[in-house]
Amino acid sequence: MLISLNWLRDYLDLPPQLDPRALAERFTRVTAEVDGVHPIEVQARGLIAARVARLSPIDARTNSVTLDVGGGKTVETVSIAADLHPGTQVVFAPIGSHVAALGDIRTAKVAGRTSSGLILPGEALGIEKAFQEAIFLGSEFKPGDLLPADLFDDVIIEVDNKSITHRPDLWGHYGVAREVAAIVRTALKPFPVVPVAELGKNGQSQIPIDIADASACHRYSGLLLEGVPTQPAPLWMQLRLGHVGQRPISGLVDLTNYIMLDLGQPMHAFDAAKVDRIEVDWAKEGEKFATLDGVTRTLASNELMIKCRGKSVALAGVMGGLETEVTESTTSLLLESANFDPATVRRTAKKLGLRSEASARFEKSLDPAHTVLGIQRFIHLARSMYPRLKITSRLSDAYPSPHRPVTVAVKTRHVARALGRPMGADEARRLLQPLGYEVTEDAASWTVHVPSFRATGDCSIEDDIIEELARCSGYDAIAAAMPHVTVRHFPPNPTHRLEHGALQYFTTAHPFCEVFDYIWYDSNWLRQLGIEPGECLELINLAAEGMHRLRKSLMPGMFSALAKNRFHFPSVALVEVGSVFKHRRPDDQEFRHLGLILADHRKRTEDALLQRLKDAITGWTCQQFGCSAVFAEIKPDPGRLWEHPQRTAGVVIQGIDSGRMSVVDVALRRRIDEHLGSWSVAWAELRLSALEELVRRPEPLASLPPHPLVEMDFSILVPKTTRFAELAGHLRELQTPLLRQVRYITSYEGESIGRDRRSLTFRFVLGHEERTLGDSDIASFQDLVVSFVRGRGYELRTG
Amino acid sequence: MDLHQLRERIAQIESEVAASLTKAGSGDAVRGLDNRVLGKEGSLSALITSIKEYPPDQRGQVGKLVNEAKARVKASFEARLAELRAADAQAEASAAGAFDATLPGVAAPMGAVHPVTAVQWEVERLFERLGFTLEAGPEMESEYNNFEALNIPASHPARDMQDTFWLTNGMVLRTHTSPVQHRSMKKFGPPLRVIAPGRCFRYETIDASHENTFHQIEGLLIDRDIGLPHLIALAKMLLTEVMQREVELRVRPGYFPFVEPGLEIDMNCRICGGKGCPTCKNSGWVEVLPAGMVHPNVLRAGSIDPDEWSGFAFGLGLTRLAMMKYGIRDIRVLNSGDLRATVSPVRLGGPIVWEKSA
Ligand SMILES: [Zn+2]
Repeated sequence: MLISLNWLRDYLDLPPQLDPRALAERFTRVTAEVDGVHPIEVQARGLIAARVARLSPIDARTNSVTLDVGGGKTVETVSIAADLHPGTQVVFAPIGSHVAALGDIRTAKVAGRTSSGLILPGEALGIEKAFQEAIFLGSEFKPGDLLPADLFDDVIIEVDNKSITHRPDLWGHYGVAREVAAIVRTALKPFPVVPVAELGKNGQSQIPIDIADASACHRYSGLLLEGVPTQPAPLWMQLRLGHVGQRPISGLVDLTNYIMLDLGQPMHAFDAAKVDRIEVDWAKEGEKFATLDGVTRTLASNELMIKCRGKSVALAGVMGGLETEVTESTTSLLLESANFDPATVRRTAKKLGLRSEASARFEKSLDPAHTVLGIQRFIHLARSMYPRLKITSRLSDAYPSPHRPVTVAVKTRHVARALGRPMGADEARRLLQPLGYEVTEDAASWTVHVPSFRATGDCSIEDDIIEELARCSGYDAIAAAMPHVTVRHFPPNPTHRLEHGALQYFTTAHPFCEVFDYIWYDSNWLRQLGIEPGECLELINLAAEGMHRLRKSLMPGMFSALAKNRFHFPSVALVEVGSVFKHRRPDDQEFRHLGLILADHRKRTEDALLQRLKDAITGWTCQQFGCSAVFAEIKPDPGRLWEHPQRTAGVVIQGIDSGRMSVVDVALRRRIDEHLGSWSVAWAELRLSALEELVRRPEPLASLPPHPLVEMDFSILVPKTTRFAELAGHLRELQTPLLRQVRYITSYEGESIGRDRRSLTFRFVLGHEERTLGDSDIASFQDLVVSFVRGRGYELRTG
Repeated sequence: MDLHQLRERIAQIESEVAASLTKAGSGDAVRGLDNRVLGKEGSLSALITSIKEYPPDQRGQVGKLVNEAKARVKASFEARLAELRAADAQAEASAAGAFDATLPGVAAPMGAVHPVTAVQWEVERLFERLGFTLEAGPEMESEYNNFEALNIPASHPARDMQDTFWLTNGMVLRTHTSPVQHRSMKKFGPPLRVIAPGRCFRYETIDASHENTFHQIEGLLIDRDIGLPHLIALAKMLLTEVMQREVELRVRPGYFPFVEPGLEIDMNCRICGGKGCPTCKNSGWVEVLPAGMVHPNVLRAGSIDPDEWSGFAFGLGLTRLAMMKYGIRDIRVLNSGDLRATVSPVRLGGPIVWEKSA
């Protein structure tokens, strides 16, 4: 919402030297956020009114124009402005005049002709919307009249629309002036209107108004007028409209727009020859209707229409109809000033893509009192502009269920609680009265009468009044203080504890760097990788083309992060904790996953990387759950291209299937990034959600053995095809009373033991409760191991 | 062997020892020699064992000769050891001339959490110290939790304001962390102190200062007699701690249907020092803390009586706060996965010797 300071000055006395930025800052702190303060400095000097005398086209856009500049003089100029006709008056910058945008006006050669002065385009006068268009003048000026320079300059305060969605009163200058008056503690002047009584005494006729559904149309006021203005609106009005972002169009449209920006009440004019009664009713399903913009639209039965004798003439609150538009041949107007249900207008405007300044206002829940007030204001302004305009009917005003005045009971205890200090009724009155509230007091409470222009918006309960008191007395004035609270025990949140622990561990005990990716797949990326994601939970409205599927795995996104980093680092370690989504009927589910990537620029280090991942995961499970992870042989999922056909493992934690890990094969590496073809990439994805209920096992400490333990390492040579789990299973069968524990130490592969073999080293811990072990105990255990290993078809590695 | 021969033998051993000793370049060599000469089976010690071969009147003489020789040899060993130790010390001292006290340490490869996580943890620790509990909520939320329970009915214009990602199953991607307010009220009841970090989603166009995916941390405190002074005090403390500086606050009205009064709490922009920059939309103030007193309808939806209890809530923009704290100018780098932009250069590669100042 753009606010003109000149406009505000109509309604309150502001010091001439007022700093608009300081005012904007106070407005931000008390009322609503100001996005910017934009001075309009036209610096006009010597601009005059000029009448087009003759036109001769130079080319399709350009005219040579002879202008009557008064005193019987004419000048020749060249103009590209549209809609110039003999007899029209324009804003003209003669030789020697000045505007900031163009500097001093001199004679110029345009299209091979001498142009003496310039028909000023809108943008040179701060009317951005009238770009390269002439500004037309009515009969308020005669050719040669000097245009008052002070009309052109203004300061525009841009209020953030989002911060006033709950304030219908701030969608017009008068409402803003009321706030400003309260802020700067000055009086608000009365709104200049004709008395309502004047609208009741004009002839006998009255437009019949029939509202079918009072919940959709709260009020409809109408008036018939004759002597349709054909003249442009006065220059001051066009400038004000232009400065706040409206393009001047015609006298009548400008006038209704002005009232909309003045009071916040949108109005519409029908050609009264075509609309002589009003029915507000729902559209027929599938009905076709041509709107003012020339588009024929198909309507649904929940679209509210203005009809005349059963025929639609306007989309209520959204746009008028083409057929009943006011044209040059219109002699008589039906003026509409109505109040529609916000949700209905919003739905239609949104659905048809017709959001306008008018519909935006109806959506805010306007004050029904403004329908008649708007007409009173229209007549007040129109009379001074167009003396020929005549009211030809009595005011019609359908208001089926008038809004009841809103009063709010406010407990002084609650005011004191919110503000942190007691407040008296006098202070409350001093703060609230300038905003239109009335306050009466009781022993422990007040009754606050809410003005109608606030009652439809945000003001209906005690807390709303407390907000008014807080902001108007100033948030800066509130003395900060720590609260007195009740100490209470809360059980720890498992999700949080798990994620925090995991991130903490992987980024400090290991060099993983955390990355964030979007929670939706990028289809282009999946296509590049050759990944077919299968059925996913999908978005209705997507961030961008191809980003409709919610991710089922963190890995595709993490591969993209890998591709971004591979150029800058010789090795990359990434971790991400995020949500993934499973599309499962009837209930889609969200899970938290942890993703890890280890990548190295050297080829064929996959197994080492996988081992490092296992080491890291095991370190984490020891720390977080007090147990080691177990790695299981699983079948790779062919739908997950990033699972290597031979090198995929399952991760099991406390018996729970907790995730998978693998290495990325060369084909997929190349598709991620051509250069990754010569890298090694390993990954793991853990299902944190599955681990939430896992309790951290207490880790009891061992008591010192009464007699020394003996540790013996044995390396067992096995064929490469033999799995650790298989061998470990065998070792669990090795039971003698002396054996306390078997630990895995390391594995080795190398030429010295033969290409097809692997050596796995285990540490055997022996001990006895009652005595120290002797040489014979050790020798016999050694024999036992030897025969045990041989018995399983393996061999002990020696030396 | 007579005494004369003994004397000659001793002299011979002594001269051999002297020759070997000059060649012995280490303590171990000296000790080996010691063993060979003075040890149980050593060449000098062996002479004593032959004492019985002498007539009794000469035996005293023999013992004296051998023992004196042993003492001399022992002394020469000690002297040589001392020489060698001195030489070692001198060698070590002269080698230390190359010692460089200023050579830097190189850290082992280091990981890092995302800057947003880092700030999140700071805020969490701070509030944990104040007795808040940490809660979490899902990113896929029901329409009810995201809107209705927060006093945002279907027809409310705020539903447009917070342009929402809708899912085909009728759920939404939460537009704020505020649904956790409702979840916590239902879970715990009053009095309540909760902090809930998480990712949020808004259907909007991405540019240098707007993201459709960002982090917030929700705060909620409900107790008896809670008011605006408490909210402002906590906001001030929160921002001062996180930014590690004395922050200036600007408290102004803000409109959020789930709070009344609703506030926007801004802090002074450090990126431009208040002169105006894209981060602060040229205002010198950065919107970081939308907040307010919990709306009575929200309390009621959480089965809490607004006459008895009152509270405040805030939705701290973690993403924006991280940008302010770490001087990140373009919000897009945060979800880009580009470590150069999200990990401190100190953690990537060796110690920085020189860098062009910003
Ligand atoms: Zn700034």
